[in-house]
Parts: sequence; structure tokens; C-alpha cells
Amino acid sequence: MTVPASSRHWREPGAWQLVVVLVLAIVTLFVLVYPAIYVFFGSFRPAGGLLSAAETFTIRNYVRIFQAGFGRFIINSVVICVAATVVSTVLSIMAAYVFSRFTFRFKRALFMGILFGQVFPWIVLINPLFVAFATMHLINSYFGMILTYTAFTIPFSVYMLVGYLVTVPKSLDEAAIIDGASRWQVIWLIICPVMLPGFVATATYAFLLCWTEYLFALAFLTQTDLKTLPLGLYQFFGDDYVDWGAVMAASVVTTLPVFLLFLPIQGWISPGRIAGAVK
Amino acid sequence: MRERLFIVTMLLPAMVLLVLFYGYPIFDNLRISFTDLSLLGMKKGGNWVGLANYRELFHRGDFGHILFNTFVWLTATSVLLRLLMGLGIAVLLNTRAMKKLRLASVARFALLIPWATPPIVAVVIWRFLLERNGVVNETLMRLNIISQPIAFLADMRAVWPSIVAIMLWNTVPLIALSLLSSLQTVPEEYYEAAELDGATNWQVFRFVTLPFLMPAILVLGLMSVFWSFNNFVYVWLATGAGPGTFTNVLATEVYLKGFVDFRLGYSSAIGMMMAIIMGAFGILYLRLVARQQLEETL
Repeated sequence: MTVPASSRHWREPGAWQLVVVLVLAIVTLFVLVYPAIYVFFGSFRPAGGLLSAAETFTIRNYVRIFQAGFGRFIINSVVICVAATVVSTVLSIMAAYVFSRFTFRFKRALFMGILFGQVFPWIVLINPLFVAFATMHLINSYFGMILTYTAFTIPFSVYMLVGYLVTVPKSLDEAAIIDGASRWQVIWLIICPVMLPGFVATATYAFLLCWTEYLFALAFLTQTDLKTLPLGLYQFFGDDYVDWGAVMAASVVTTLPVFLLFLPIQGWISPGRIAGAVK
Repeated sequence: MRERLFIVTMLLPAMVLLVLFYGYPIFDNLRISFTDLSLLGMKKGGNWVGLANYRELFHRGDFGHILFNTFVWLTATSVLLRLLMGLGIAVLLNTRAMKKLRLASVARFALLIPWATPPIVAVVIWRFLLERNGVVNETLMRLNIISQPIAFLADMRAVWPSIVAIMLWNTVPLIALSLLSSLQTVPEEYYEAAELDGATNWQVFRFVTLPFLMPAILVLGLMSVFWSFNNFVYVWLATGAGPGTFTNVLATEVYLKGFVDFRLGYSSAIGMMMAIIMGAFGILYLRLVARQQLEETL
């Protein structure tokens, strides 16, 4: 009997094998997907569906969170994360270009240092940064948060970008330079168009890291009108009462952009590389 | 010369930021840990207290408990289960049967959902499912497994398994997907040779697949140690280190002591302990991961 070359390595599965695999697969898929879907539909039900009597569809949860000022958190998050992503991506492209194109002293040590940034315990930086920010009036400031998120996405972005850039042949740059182009022109006119999907994927992922960051926001933003989405989401957890409808609507609002941005780029993000790059 | 100037110009902005945000703070953290600096008295600064913070730390009864939580629950349990489940799912998705059932691509898509769900939201989702009258309790009661609803995130017997479960739901998919992509690079001849020798499916897994995946598993395991050990959000958002301080870990203790008790000096001393412990893992990281990443990338 002939079997397709790609899967020749397993013998033709028997009926019981199919059943076992099917059951395992269904259980796994259910556990993976059901919680997210449950919350999505719960966000359209009173009290998130906890009161099982109330089956009705409602958008009141969404209305309520925006009345409670959720729009403000969205604006804060967008401003801080977009600014940080743009600055971080530009600085990272500059650094990554040099790492991928030149040999220079301390190159390996510098790159190692950047890789080290990926596993650095952020929590340890909170106290000294808070002290420094307090003296420089950067607590409760957009600028402080933008700087923080820029710095904390750089190691990841440089690592990802160097990975993409080494795949672009150096001869491309050299040919352009012989034709009289400057290095900046090479980056802007040759590298950027070729590597655009990689740059966009990296920037998007960096944006998502900021969008969902909780710890720095918690420490550095105490003023309600400056808080970001993740903090806003958790303000619906009261001390002795949780407004589940609002919490779930806020969760959906937080997560939907993540899914919409994540799905198109995931072909460009290799899980193996990400696993070695994010905390 | 012009080239050197170009290199420096291009690297400088990123490097300056990294030094300001990683290099400087770690030294300042060391300095703060020798003072009694308070969050409320930052203007006047802290007084030098030498090793007092460290002495206090080792003499406190609860520090052992915090270390135990961090090492055993937050790190060891979650990392081991994450690798096991990730491997299990990867192998499952790669089976012939799975392809025959045309479920492989559906399953890959399903893995993206928990992976793309931000940790802050993953905790919300599970807090809701694990509510007293939530869907998990309801199901367990209907199946007559329990007679009383369990307060999963408040009951001392249930709280750690619950936190670990939340972490696993959120992080296993990435491990599974990256092991799956390694699985797909196992050379076909390996399997053919094993098959010719009459190996059973288990033997093929044990002597062909597993050794091939081992380097990837090691790297993922080590990275996983870093994510878990340093993680703040899962414990903080799921239980706030409670009930009481039952699920307190090093990361939440740093935050609690610094920002709830206002003792930045003492909090920094705990931070230094974390940095030292991670430094030990950092050496492993340099040897096993960073060097490999460097070779692969540069």
C-alpha cells in the first residue's frame, strides 16, 4: 500500500487509535477554546450569565463600561503603546541593521547583553525606576510610560529584527552603495521594502506586549485619568463585589484588537523564536 | 572611520535606553537595598542600614514559605506540567490519525486562541469560570464529583492548582506550537529506519522523537523557568497573593513590601535575592540558549 511521503512514518492508524486520538483532540480543543468563547458570549448577557435565569442578549455591559470611563483608558493605551512601538521599532531597526551588516568590536558582547534583557526580571527594576521617575516627575506621565515601554520592547525587537535582516543578502546593500546611495538610503529604500512584513510583525508584537503590560502601569500610573486598559479592566473587581458583566465586556474590548492584530502576523512569527524571546 | 561613526550612531540610542533602564536600575536597586528608604519619604531619602534588610529577610518566618511557593509551585510545577502538556499536544497534533481526521489545522488554530489571549485577560476568564456559582463548580456538581461548590481561588487546597491551571491554559499553546514545528523537522529516514527495525510506536517516540526534540525541550524549559519565576501578574491578579499571604511569591512580595507597605529598602533586598537566583540561571541561559540564539541569528 502506498502512503503519502509526508506521513509515511506512522503506520496506517487502526480504528481504536482514531477513536482515542479523536477523544483526546476534542477534549483538548474544548479546554483551549471554550473559556474564551464563553466569556465572549457572557459579555452580552446580564451579569455575564451568572444569573442563569437571565438569558437575554444585551449590550448594556458595554454601555456601562464606557460610561465608567473605559474610553479614557483606551485612549491612554493607544497613545502610550503606539508612541512606544514607533520609537522602539525605529531604534531597533537601526541597531539590528548594524548587527546584521557589520563586524565590530564588542559586537558579540553587546548582542549577548541584548539577549540577556529578554530574561531580566522586570519586577527587580520597579523600585529603582520608581525612585528615579519620582525625582524626574515621570510618575503619572505619558512620557515616562512611553520611555519605559520603548526600553522594554527593544531587546525583543532587536532580536527578532536581526533574525529577519540576516536573511537579506549584503550584496544588495553593496550594489546600492556602489551606485552612490548612502547607508540611510539603503535602509529606507532597499531594506525596508524587502523586510516590511517582518518589520510590521515585530512592531505589532511589540505593540501587543505594551497593550497588555500590567506591572509597570500599576506602579507608575496612579492617577485614574492616565491609567491604561489593563488597569482599567481590573478596576471592575471591587473588594467585595465583582461586576462580571462589565469585567467581561472590558475583557472583550481589550482582547479583540489583540486577536485582530495577532492573526495576520502569526505566519511571520515563528513560535520557536518567540518562545526564546518573550517572557 | 566614517563606518565606525555610522555604527556608533545607529547603536547609541538603543544602547543608552538599555543602560538607563536595565544597567543603572540594577545597581541602584543594590544601593536602595542597604537603606531604609520609604515610599513616603523619598524626598529626604533613606538612611544607610547596612545588611539589616537582608538580616530581617532571613529571620522572618514567612520567607521560607515564599521561597517554597516560588520554587515549587510557581516555577517547578508549572514548568514541568507545561513541558509535558506541550509535548503531549504537539505529538497528538502530529499523529497520522489526526491528519486523517483533518483536525490538525483546526487544532493549530485553536492553540492560537489561548496563546493570543493576554495574561491579564486569561486570569479574568478563569476567575469567572472558577467562581462559586461558575461553570466549573456547576459542572462538577452536576457530575456528582463534589457536593459543595469549591472556592477555587480562596481554598488553601485548591488555590495553587488553580493558579497553575490558569498559567498552563495561557502558556502551553506556545510550547506546543514550537515543539510541533520542531517535530515536523524530524528527518523522515529516522522513522523509516526505526520502522524497518520493527520498533513499536512507543519505541519510535522514546528513541527517535524524544532525543530529537530534547534540545528544543531544554531551551523551552529554561525560558519557561524565567517566565515563571519572575512572573507577577498571574498570582497578583488571580489571588492578590491570598488568601492572606498563602500564595505569596517573590515577585508579589517585592510589590507588596515596596508599594503596599512602602518599604522600598526591604523590597529591594528581596529584589536582589531574585536577581541573584536568576543570575545563577542566567549562566545556564548564556550557555544553553543565548549562545545558540547568537549563532543562529548573527
